[in-house]
Amino acid sequence: MKVRNQDGEKLDLLTVNIGPSHPATHGALRAFVALDGEMIRAAVTEIGYLHRGFEKMVEQGTYQQVLPYTDRLNYCSAILNNIGFSHTVERMFEVEIPERATVLRVLLSELSRLIDHQVCIAAAAVDLGALTNYWYLFNPREDVYAIWEKLSGARLTNAFTRIGGLYRDTYEGFEDDVRAVLPKIEKGLDDAFRLLEHNRIFIDRTRGCCPVSAEQAVSWGWTGPCLRATGVDRDLRKDDPYLDYETYEFQTVVGSTGDTYDRLLVRMYEMRESLSICRQALSRLKPGPVNTPDARLSLPGHDKTYHDMEALINQFKLVYEGVRAPAGEFYGSIEAANGELGFFIASDGTGKPWKIKVRPPCFTQFAAYADVVEGSLVADAIACLSSLNIIAGELDR
Amino acid sequence: MTSQPVDLDKVLTPASAEGRKEFETRAFASLQSRFEAVMDPRDRWGLTAVVPARLLRESVRFLRDDPSFLMDLMLDITAIDYLGYPGHDGARFGVVYNIRSQRFGSHRLRLKVWVEEEDPVVPSVHDLYRIADWQERETWDQYGIVFEGHPDLRRLLNHVEFAGHPLRKDYPVRKRQWLSTNDPMILPLEARLQARGFQVLEHVAANSPSVEETGLLGKPAVEKVNYVEKAK
Repeated sequence: MKVRNQDGEKLDLLTVNIGPSHPATHGALRAFVALDGEMIRAAVTEIGYLHRGFEKMVEQGTYQQVLPYTDRLNYCSAILNNIGFSHTVERMFEVEIPERATVLRVLLSELSRLIDHQVCIAAAAVDLGALTNYWYLFNPREDVYAIWEKLSGARLTNAFTRIGGLYRDTYEGFEDDVRAVLPKIEKGLDDAFRLLEHNRIFIDRTRGCCPVSAEQAVSWGWTGPCLRATGVDRDLRKDDPYLDYETYEFQTVVGSTGDTYDRLLVRMYEMRESLSICRQALSRLKPGPVNTPDARLSLPGHDKTYHDMEALINQFKLVYEGVRAPAGEFYGSIEAANGELGFFIASDGTGKPWKIKVRPPCFTQFAAYADVVEGSLVADAIACLSSLNIIAGELDR
Repeated sequence: MTSQPVDLDKVLTPASAEGRKEFETRAFASLQSRFEAVMDPRDRWGLTAVVPARLLRESVRFLRDDPSFLMDLMLDITAIDYLGYPGHDGARFGVVYNIRSQRFGSHRLRLKVWVEEEDPVVPSVHDLYRIADWQERETWDQYGIVFEGHPDLRRLLNHVEFAGHPLRKDYPVRKRQWLSTNDPMILPLEARLQARGFQVLEHVAANSPSVEETGLLGKPAVEKVNYVEKAK
């Protein structure tokens, strides 16, 4: 493409597609760029390669049937999506879930956050050629997936929460498994830290790479680690606490320059805080019910269903008609691994949602991507992309 | 940047039930006196203020810039199709803006604009929040709401050849469309180059043989309808 720049100089730009199917685009994202040598002069992005009509599909079934769909949003931390959705519907009912369910949700949230950050950091390091970190980070992640399998029967698509609590209580030995996996995650994290934090090559590749200022990040609607990397100390767990997060001791981690280095390091330090929250949650775990006794939300249980007519009717109505959320419109959100995960629900009072709109955190980050990478090198654009942690499942819905 | 500089070091007041109540009373009073806002009874958990479309931009700008509100985070823009909603009487679409503040934890509200089916137009706020650009594109794509003043209202999630707006209640769930080619995206790329001060001297050759056949190159993507209905 022949162009003339501001100085009147003629340039012959090369147009190149980065993605949609490329190992460095982690999923299916497409950036169409105009290159001057290795410099990106202009970029436009296209999304939707993984669009499967989440918001249309969820209007067809009951509220309970939405839950498995939420697994497929951010598939690197499926349980966080389950919790976000269940929590939003429970807030429409203004129902509190039992103590054990709350603590377990915190524990599962933080474990999910840990494995989500592991994916992001490991993949980002691989994109920079630092392959060893991948094994240090991914081996303990596999152990978490072993826990997920025992807990829910599934590795990636757990659908472990229910509206009003959890699918079921934990298995025997769950706490020991979690206690055993935390030091492994910590060891892997420490190893990766030692390999990366002061690594000259890593620093050269990521420091000053695609920086984003705080003002830009706020206008782009960024939340979560990418916003905190720009120096803005915001975290829904602190600012608008849910699941009793205000009673846990942890710090939010902030960066200073908002470059790729900060975005990755913020995630690494956040993993330390998540490990600490996991330990605190473990120490609080006491036996008890994991589902609210509220008959509007929870199934009555087999012992009652088989012997009590009222309970049978209750079970039937809940399964066939769905949870009947009060008519109205509500937006609820949690701090997912990538930022604010919101569900905007419009209910007409029946068991089927009238409309559910997801507010995926990485949507805002990828919207800014073209702007962020213009003026940088192709290799930097790849490093930047992996530090933004775009998950096509929630981006495209 | 169009927004005013954000003093983000300022201590944030965390969310609280009292703070929320106080904010909602104050915000609604301001919106009511300045922008003819009315309360939407569908929101029984918080505040949804319905504003007329012609005052939307002013009310969004007011909420963003007024020092006592500072709603600097556009969480989401979407629409609701009320076709067939029980007991609904009025405009078919409601365009919804979820806004909150990064400075005050309790500041969050929703603005709603009623939009008639015959004339689904609302003013764009893409210059007030940069993220609104994509959020409006998605809403156009899914609901067919036109955001007047948006510089590049193209589809976002659906394919460039897709016809119709799938989240409308009268769009059949099982409808299929035959989509044949990729989106060349050459015009948007040239527009971005021009915005960065480059003068495009010669258009790029089509990057795929199918592009010229479909005639996608020289036309705005939204006008083009080129599909075959495979199945009902």
